[in-house]
Amino acid sequence: MRLLAFRLTSASHQYHFLTGEGFHIKSAAVKDHLVVLSNVLAELRRRQLPSGGWAALLSSAQASLETTCLTTLAIGSQDSDDQRRAQDFLLRVQNPNGSWPAFFGDDQDGAWVTSLAVIALRDFVTAMPARLSAIHWLTKCEGKESNWFWRWKFRTADRHVRFDPDKFGWPWIPHTVSWVVPTAFAILALSQLPCSCGSLEEILIRVDRGIEMLIDRACAGGGWNAGNSVVYVSALAPHPDDTAIALLALGNRTQHPVVQASVEWLEHATPTLTAPWSLSWAILALAAHGRAVESLITSLVALPDLSGNDDTCTLALVCLAADCRRALAALGANL
Amino acid sequence: MILNRRTFLVGTAALAAGASVSVPFFLPKYHSVRRAKRSRVAILHVEQYSQRIDQILASGLRLFRINVQGKTVVLKPNLVDYIPGNAINTHPTLVLAAAESFRRMGAKCVIVAEGPGHQRDTELVLSQSGYRESLRDEALRFVDLNRDELVRTQLRASYMGMKSLWLPRTVLKADFLVSMPKIKAHHWAGVTLSMKNMLGVVPGSRYGWPKNILHWKGIQESILDVSATIPVHFVIADGIVAMEGNGPLNGTARPLGKIVLADDPVAADSVCARLMGFEPDRIVHIREGAKFLGNLSPALIDQLGETLEAPATPFQVVPEFRQLYAL
Repeated sequence: MRLLAFRLTSASHQYHFLTGEGFHIKSAAVKDHLVVLSNVLAELRRRQLPSGGWAALLSSAQASLETTCLTTLAIGSQDSDDQRRAQDFLLRVQNPNGSWPAFFGDDQDGAWVTSLAVIALRDFVTAMPARLSAIHWLTKCEGKESNWFWRWKFRTADRHVRFDPDKFGWPWIPHTVSWVVPTAFAILALSQLPCSCGSLEEILIRVDRGIEMLIDRACAGGGWNAGNSVVYVSALAPHPDDTAIALLALGNRTQHPVVQASVEWLEHATPTLTAPWSLSWAILALAAHGRAVESLITSLVALPDLSGNDDTCTLALVCLAADCRRALAALGANL
Repeated sequence: MILNRRTFLVGTAALAAGASVSVPFFLPKYHSVRRAKRSRVAILHVEQYSQRIDQILASGLRLFRINVQGKTVVLKPNLVDYIPGNAINTHPTLVLAAAESFRRMGAKCVIVAEGPGHQRDTELVLSQSGYRESLRDEALRFVDLNRDELVRTQLRASYMGMKSLWLPRTVLKADFLVSMPKIKAHHWAGVTLSMKNMLGVVPGSRYGWPKNILHWKGIQESILDVSATIPVHFVIADGIVAMEGNGPLNGTARPLGKIVLADDPVAADSVCARLMGFEPDRIVHIREGAKFLGNLSPALIDQLGETLEAPATPFQVVPEFRQLYAL
């Protein structure tokens, strides 16, 4: 039986999951998965802070925007109280310049999580002005190598890291260079735009340039790490999570040789992964590129003591990976 | 020459402008001096990572008058990424031995804490590098500093030109902080030792992976500002198998057979640099750190354990750092 999706109704804690034959339970294995996921979702709800956000670690009380956005996507249903509180929190902590901070209480310059917030608020009509303001910020935010001086420096004096500075994307924080993960999320966020958005042409140019940057930063043999493929003549190895996130952003470039090599690398690397964060991202990316992920989901939910994981961000991601079709739709990744 | 009022005013303004530009270059960039009168460093000979490290380390620590009774001890290893066969990370056997020693010395709590700079999945690095199982077996708590609660912290030096950094609460609240570097050559900083190791506390959740802001502000400058702001109380450096060449990730393993203990990070790094065949005062952050953080001069360092001997063949470095070699 193929599990296509599941839903938890928070009031009764009952699962409604969609199989090829409709909504019901047909196997003990799936039932076990659902019990595990039910526990993880319950744990996520339990960890919601009074502010409406979620902290990155169980030991922390400081709301993290990355964790809050991923958990908002993981919880899913829009009509729950948790969701409304999370949405209110996200709208409340947006910076005056349209960006979002890395965590509640952070400086107001903005951070890469702005893209994640745009994605997390996609289904909330009342969040549209906030999303448009964030999109405006994202189109203005670019890697430092976009400046002619730094491009010149990277072409002439500073050539130990191999990359083409003409192909820039988004930085983790303003005034630094572009990296793979923030660029991939910005591409996903900007690709979800309503067509009526004003500066559409400018956005399309940025998205195309970001895609070129991702292709340029790929490791030899496929896959991505943070964004350094070669340093001091040494080729650096790819990372599963960075590779998966880049592949999500490149869902409509399936025929590109770099994308194909990267999917193959990830497919080869994933079965041995035991870390839930990397395994979850890999499941999402492989599903987005049409690979079978059922056995990987089985491995994921079979990992010991998932709901006891200290890292709330990882818990949210586990839920998203287990319900990967819905998650991919929410992320705006190509299916 | 006739000095009229106008000439006088123009001259005074020019002098003031010149002074405002040049004076900062001559003023110290550190806000306080933490250097002790004398420092102590012990070099221990250890051939390989084995159960014997426990005893060797415990006897080495007894050479120092360390009081961790009732204190929270935070061990900060160097845990960057995992590449099979590469000696990148502080070996977990040494970290466990240190935890065990501090527990026996009466520490209230021992925490292992790190924020890998290259890899976002800390759990993956922990499991691949053998930490996860060891931490679980010894019931040791690990805190991912990349995702820990953050506190805005005023910097106690101004080499980077930043006033503050967001830093993890676990490190700021530590009663006794131990830097546990892997002795490595480093392609941006020359070496990565106990002071450079502290850049791992700068949180990725705020500054990204890698912590790119530190590269833009200057690696040597960042090392100095972070070292000035977060006091390291003790150093246990892993040089049993070190790394030379294109470190911190892609260098070559270099068996050195040493553990270096010290009560002063500058003294520790200067001794480690000498063990690598380098002149420590040619490494910017060690030379500058010796002005306010600790001692570089052998005359101010009590050498315990083995005597310090430079290697017959110095560690290899990338071409930009060949000036580090001792003459």
